[in-house]
Amino acid sequence: MADAVDGSLADGGRRGWAIRHWAGLRNGVVILVVWEFLGRFGLVAGGALPAPSAILARFWLDRGDYPEHVVATLWGASAGFLIGNAIAVLAGMLFVLSPVASRLSRGINIAIFSVPSIAISPILVLTLSGMAPRIVLAAISCYFVTMTATVIGLTQIDQRTADVIRAYGGGRWKVMRLVRLRSAMPVILGGLQVAAPNAVLGAILAEFGGGGRWGLGNYLLGSLGRADPARLWGIGLVATAIAGLAYLVFALISQRVTGASRAVTVTTSVPPLRAAGGDNTVAKVLLVAGSIALPLILWWVFVKALGVPELIARTPYGVFEHLFLLDSSPAARAKLLQALAQTLPITLVGMAAGLAAAFLLAVSSRLYPGVTRAFMPIALFTQTMPLIATIPLLVLLLGRGWSVTLWITISVTFFPAFITLAQGISMVPRAALDVPRAYGASAWKEMRLVSIPASLPYLFAATRLTVPRALLGVMIAEWLATGKGLGNLLNQSRGYLDYGMIWTVATVSVLVSIAFYQLVVVAERRVLGRLGMQTAE
Amino acid sequence: MNRNIDRRHFMALMGAGAAAPLLARHASAAAPLTMQAAWINDAEFTGYFTAIDNGYYKDEGLDLTYLSGGPDLIPESSIIAGKADLALTTPDTTIKAIVDQGAKFKIIGAQYQKNPHGIISLAKNPIHSPKELVGKTLAVPPVNVISVEVMLRANGIEPSQVNIVPYAYDPTPLIKGEIDASLDFTTNVPFTIKQQSAEAVSFLLYDFGYTIFNDAIVVTDDTLAAKRKELVAWLKASRKGWEENLRDPSVYPPKFADTWFKGTGRSIENEVYFNTAQKPLIESPKGILSLTEDSIAKTIDALSKAGIKARRDMFDTTLLEEV
Amino acid sequence: MSAQRGIRIDNVSKTFSARGKRIEALKNVSLDCAPGSFTALIGPSGCGKSTILRLALGLEVADTGSVEIGGEAPRNATSAGVTGVAFQDAALLPWRSVEANLALPLDVLGLERARYAGKIASLIELVGLAGFEKALPGELSGGMRQRVAIARALVTDPSVLFLDEPFGALDQILRRQMNIELQRIWTETKATALLVTHGIDEAVFLADKVVVMQSRPGRIARVIDVPFERPRRTNLFSDPRFHALNDEIATVLHG
Repeated sequence: MADAVDGSLADGGRRGWAIRHWAGLRNGVVILVVWEFLGRFGLVAGGALPAPSAILARFWLDRGDYPEHVVATLWGASAGFLIGNAIAVLAGMLFVLSPVASRLSRGINIAIFSVPSIAISPILVLTLSGMAPRIVLAAISCYFVTMTATVIGLTQIDQRTADVIRAYGGGRWKVMRLVRLRSAMPVILGGLQVAAPNAVLGAILAEFGGGGRWGLGNYLLGSLGRADPARLWGIGLVATAIAGLAYLVFALISQRVTGASRAVTVTTSVPPLRAAGGDNTVAKVLLVAGSIALPLILWWVFVKALGVPELIARTPYGVFEHLFLLDSSPAARAKLLQALAQTLPITLVGMAAGLAAAFLLAVSSRLYPGVTRAFMPIALFTQTMPLIATIPLLVLLLGRGWSVTLWITISVTFFPAFITLAQGISMVPRAALDVPRAYGASAWKEMRLVSIPASLPYLFAATRLTVPRALLGVMIAEWLATGKGLGNLLNQSRGYLDYGMIWTVATVSVLVSIAFYQLVVVAERRVLGRLGMQTAE
Repeated sequence: MNRNIDRRHFMALMGAGAAAPLLARHASAAAPLTMQAAWINDAEFTGYFTAIDNGYYKDEGLDLTYLSGGPDLIPESSIIAGKADLALTTPDTTIKAIVDQGAKFKIIGAQYQKNPHGIISLAKNPIHSPKELVGKTLAVPPVNVISVEVMLRANGIEPSQVNIVPYAYDPTPLIKGEIDASLDFTTNVPFTIKQQSAEAVSFLLYDFGYTIFNDAIVVTDDTLAAKRKELVAWLKASRKGWEENLRDPSVYPPKFADTWFKGTGRSIENEVYFNTAQKPLIESPKGILSLTEDSIAKTIDALSKAGIKARRDMFDTTLLEEV
Repeated sequence: MSAQRGIRIDNVSKTFSARGKRIEALKNVSLDCAPGSFTALIGPSGCGKSTILRLALGLEVADTGSVEIGGEAPRNATSAGVTGVAFQDAALLPWRSVEANLALPLDVLGLERARYAGKIASLIELVGLAGFEKALPGELSGGMRQRVAIARALVTDPSVLFLDEPFGALDQILRRQMNIELQRIWTETKATALLVTHGIDEAVFLADKVVVMQSRPGRIARVIDVPFERPRRTNLFSDPRFHALNDEIATVLHG
């Protein structure tokens, strides 16, 4: 499965291919045998980890239940996947064609990415009906990843080829059509790979809370009370299989197009010199103000257009009122600040941990492709298995403190960052790799000297993907395991019909995520600017 | 303006219009009515399924649409948003919304005369009363923390003396001993525990000072004014359904195996256990779904301990009188 | 063959900012390339020779002064298909075959590929790549890629041809061969040519006029006419007059 991230595949030849696949297969079998052994003899958490054979046996008994649930989940996830990604690719193109649109939409983009799904799901269920919440949540889960990938792909082009187009009088659109789109294909496909499990999980989350009858999320909810891990893992594995299939399809397509997309030589003319002067401060301020105002306006329009009563659907003003103008406001503020004080410190640690995990994985996917290939199904599983199903296992293994929170945060954050980084490492031009190879450099030295520095823009893009999601990870852990902080406050507010607080927590979590995101953007501009690299924004 | 139309327009834009099963059965002459349940399809709602399948609502001139619930679905929200006419709710939540948010709700009946929520523990590490919870780890769904805290205080225990952690609907941590007890429906979870070769003990919050009913039948003031006749018809048919179902609790759940309970992931034996266990909590000398003055007074009293100021005028017993 | 056009650069200045610093790429530069002439720009890195070419192609806009191609603004000239360009480092689209890369200017200009099929085939023949029509750039050697770039520059029958260090990446032997090839091709097309190069011998061999530039700020130091008759042959490389002229240019460059 890691073929897409294994850039050397193209050079390896048939024999190399067979050896690598054999290694991957062997490692996969080893993992399976160890898992069976641990499960069969109840060695993990007193038997809370079911053996693969037990999961299969349960699956066979339940086979009659699955088709309708799978069809419903496929429906919601694929509709959301198509809509979300279509919007994402178009938006990515728009942002590249028009820097003004890009800067105006920054607020919306980050907001969409960082709005915690556990906060938006009840709001979608409140405001929409039928399949719509599932489709919207699946689409939202896809949007940012694919949009970011599209923008990265469209901007990280060989500038020389764009010059050729412009030298024949071609405008932005011609450069887009003839150079950028094709050149961006591998990166966009990488984005779709990440978006696929996101869409499945998004649809399942909305099913889980949304009160329909069909869908793997509904099946999971009904099964939770059975204390039957084999059933829960079966559902999670079916979800993983759906996502894995989509992942594999895009990985295969991506592998086909990557070879021909890599520039043949290192780009030497990259640092785009900006014409001096022309930086208009007024325009800048207006753009920043616009990017802050636009999400608020959209939010307001969304609430008003749906005609949902004010009691349920709060406008930005409603949130402000809740926090500052009512008799209950001081109490609400105190609750919120207390929750934030519990949530923020661990979020910072979680960010670092998630990024480190992604980085180590990406590097090792280059150095030890076999190990990574065997690990990929597990990685994918963590992306599609609703955490609620593995919570009993996690709390039994890790307790209900920092370790469980960190684990959940890593599992929520590492995947998109890993894919982005691996993509960056595999896109390093061949000529650049030849230099250290010529000097007999080891694989690790080659990574250190060329691949890692050359993929620095991707490292920053990965950081941007990790940072807002760290907050989501911590909130999920708080909601399901530790009972503290923002996640717990959100869930309690639902029970108290405290709609003001539900919208406030969602808003504050988005604002916090945006703040983290902006910090990364500033650091990114500084570092890449100094190194003469393009920011992949 | 018509909110449903708006929403349908929106969904058509989202390409989801065709998939919306919402309110699709308006063809017959019968009066349409939509109910929002509090949870997924399980034995908790067998009485309504019985009434639907036996045609009791149709006999009363109703065309009933039944909406299942879920964890993120706040039943009160459905009636505020106009998606449903009546909802089954937790009364503390509903009354808190009336008091704090000025929501215009009326409670017109109650399914559980006694709230089935209880503290469940394993027989090998039993907890029989609130006092024994001190120093123990208790898993509670975050939405119910307030109820547990009230019950603890009513028994002279500070909530900080109990280690309360979130409960995620899966009893595995209890069975494996990671937690000592959990708050759940006593009508349901002990069955699961038995399936895992363990024995459960439990006590109801109701029996230790938290004397509220549950699955309150809630409508908005507007609906009450506009659809009084239909609501009375609904109460009548629902009561008939529950009576029929509870005559022998083992009869109806198997009949719904391939309809209402299909694909829920739960077993029919579990539903029979549930249905049997809930019988004494539902039956009332005044008739099923009743709202007696005594139960209203007890609920008001219990909620006042939680700092929720319930009043008699939040309850409307006149519809039941018409049944 | 389209009408002949010259290049006229009149008192042009251009400033860039990079990493907070301001760089005067060009200061008061004027240059006239007569129709049908071959001009070479030579100078140290950063003297602004590539910037002149980018200004003439409309890829940059001058801060002051004017640039005209055949009396028109660069953007108008380029989008009319009057110009052809070959960049340093080939700049081929890696996913397009040799043929399809040649067709790229046609796609940009909105010209019908089918009408140029013969032209493309003959250009591939001209640059000695017959048999490689379907090959991808990744499968070609550096010299072959550069020849694709030259052929691509000629596909529209340009009356003005820009060459930005087109043979910079090639070895000396290949480079001389390519110089002779280029002279032959240019003689056939009679286009006005502007060559940016690092190689003094290349400039002297190909150009009618060598423009020597200096940096900080980028400016023209001297314009030297090359008197040798055409067609120039390989034996020119060993002619004492050729070496004398090379030395003269080197003196100006390092002066």
